[in-house]
Amino acid sequence: MSSRGSLLFLLHAHLPYVNHPEDSAFLEENWFFEAVVETYVPIISALERLAAEGIRPGVTISISPTLGAMLENEALEAKLGLYVASRLELIEKELARTQDEPALCRTVKLYQKLYGDAAKLIHKYSGDLITPLKALQHAGQIEIMITSATHAVLPLLARPEAVRAQLAAAAEDYEDRFNRKPSGFWLPECAYEPRLNSYLKLSGFNYTFTESHAVEPAAAQVPDGVYSPYRTSNGLGLFARDAASSREVWSSKTGYPGDPAYREFYRDLGYDGDYEYLRPYFGEDGIRRPLGLKYHRITGTGADLASREYYDPDAAQARVEAHASDFLARRLKQTEDFYAARGTGPLIVSCYDAELFGHWWFEGPAFLEAVIRKIRTERLPLQFVTPSEYLNSCQEPVEIAPAISSWGENGYFDPWVNESNDFIYPAVYAATDKMIETANRFRNQDLSLLSSRALNQAARETLLSQSSDWAFLIYIGSHAEYAKKRLEGHAASALKLLGEVIEKKVDEKDLAALEKQNSVFPKLDFRIFASVSKF
Amino acid sequence: MPELSSPLPPEDRLVLLPKNPGTFFVFWRFSESRADLFRLASFSPEIELRLSCADDRTPASSHRAQWQAGRAYLPVPERGGNCSAALYALRNGAWERLLDSNQAAAPAAAGAAGDRAYASLEFHKKALS
Repeated sequence: MSSRGSLLFLLHAHLPYVNHPEDSAFLEENWFFEAVVETYVPIISALERLAAEGIRPGVTISISPTLGAMLENEALEAKLGLYVASRLELIEKELARTQDEPALCRTVKLYQKLYGDAAKLIHKYSGDLITPLKALQHAGQIEIMITSATHAVLPLLARPEAVRAQLAAAAEDYEDRFNRKPSGFWLPECAYEPRLNSYLKLSGFNYTFTESHAVEPAAAQVPDGVYSPYRTSNGLGLFARDAASSREVWSSKTGYPGDPAYREFYRDLGYDGDYEYLRPYFGEDGIRRPLGLKYHRITGTGADLASREYYDPDAAQARVEAHASDFLARRLKQTEDFYAARGTGPLIVSCYDAELFGHWWFEGPAFLEAVIRKIRTERLPLQFVTPSEYLNSCQEPVEIAPAISSWGENGYFDPWVNESNDFIYPAVYAATDKMIETANRFRNQDLSLLSSRALNQAARETLLSQSSDWAFLIYIGSHAEYAKKRLEGHAASALKLLGEVIEKKVDEKDLAALEKQNSVFPKLDFRIFASVSKF
Repeated sequence: MPELSSPLPPEDRLVLLPKNPGTFFVFWRFSESRADLFRLASFSPEIELRLSCADDRTPASSHRAQWQAGRAYLPVPERGGNCSAALYALRNGAWERLLDSNQAAAPAAAGAAGDRAYASLEFHKKALS
């Protein structure tokens, strides 16, 4: 059946840059390992499986440069291998321990498959998970977008030079990683303001995404609402997120992830199991922490963690199928309503954090695969499209002036600017202003190799200080001390390096240590921060 | 109130950032020489932050704060739009303009914005409960 509506399914994959080569095991590096095993490997596997069966996934994935750098970091790959091997060892013990409890043992076997699949895929690509994504894009199965260099909330960077640097570093990083120029740009936290139009266009991007309330005030004057792409006055393509399809997946209360049959995220063997038995799998400090083996299901609203029942993989899979059908039925209803009113098919834009799929919502990757399969097997009049495909085939989009907005709590910038985290901005701006001033001073000068290295590293540290993650973690009170330390460390390192260059006293040993630890953007040129940039 | 662990180099800076349709965040810092003028009581300890509309420089509102506070939240003027801030200090009965901020645009309120934001915060926050 021909398509009556188009679905644009976008997964935004991002983690803050966490790399501690000085430690054999560093707690916050587990964020990366958990996301690889629970989210990136299952999603890549599903996409490869679909493509191999001749079912084109047609999804869009935004990969942040910091995540891309971690996926290509050999030291982290080695630690990831150890992490997976350690979990497989524990799973073997768990299989023996639970052999007389069939209900529990089935879930342990599920983890054996999850970690075993991760080990196989990591081995297949020699630890570099960018390779399969690049191949999928090259084959036209998916489209990969970029976001700002270190996931800075761009409307909170007052200096134009800082915004341009975030965009320039990201564009160059994408080209290096994916061997082509990026077309689309995911605004970190969907945070939009009008001055970004020109920066995005000048940096070579063709389109971006906004929250629905960025276009709805203007879209009231045009009949397609959020179901059509738009363009800004300078020709930047604009896709608006559909609120309904977002809520069905995002909401932990009313959305699919809260189903009683699904895995409970917060009940973990690391807290439940015998301490001495599990001690080898905790960190050097011996503090109990999540081990990724979660044996219980959500069970019901209001049930406390202690009363959760054992997870049943078959029951969960049945709910995945039901939810995929429900998701598609709702999209069909949207499509039919729109078609009846307008005589044309809508574009439904569904955007999610990739880590929701698998890490938070364990069954998420299976849901995504089921949705894509059902469109084909049930011959539904829907099609998955990528942004570039849609813009290339649709009528000239209507021009609008979108409103300032984000997809964060309350719809603006509250999560990143509030009384718990606002103290960070003087440090971010001290580093940023000094970086711009120093880039302007040295941009046309002949520099020694050491000074150039120091300035380039200062630029990396400045970009890292601007990451949205530090403010967010401080706000939610999760790893807040680590976030504060990281932000202060990056800002202080940038200021120190810039001071050393000016005083011609660069400490090469300290510089080398920073280059090793914060090795993002290997080709970065500090001049991207200059007021009249060469880029 | 949380603070940075170590002091930053003293510099003159006034930055205005958007927070939400009703609120701007502003922070300021002073160079050593300016800070000395406050410490030596050449300036009164209370500063005044004046918001004006950036398009036509029309004064919009003013707010008092202690010079050491370093940051404040300011209500967005009723007409919204692009604003900038200026920091004034009182010396010998006269207000002196010390610092000027960048321009910042206040978001226009969209009725259902809060209901539509379903970013990862919801899942992270659950961890705290």
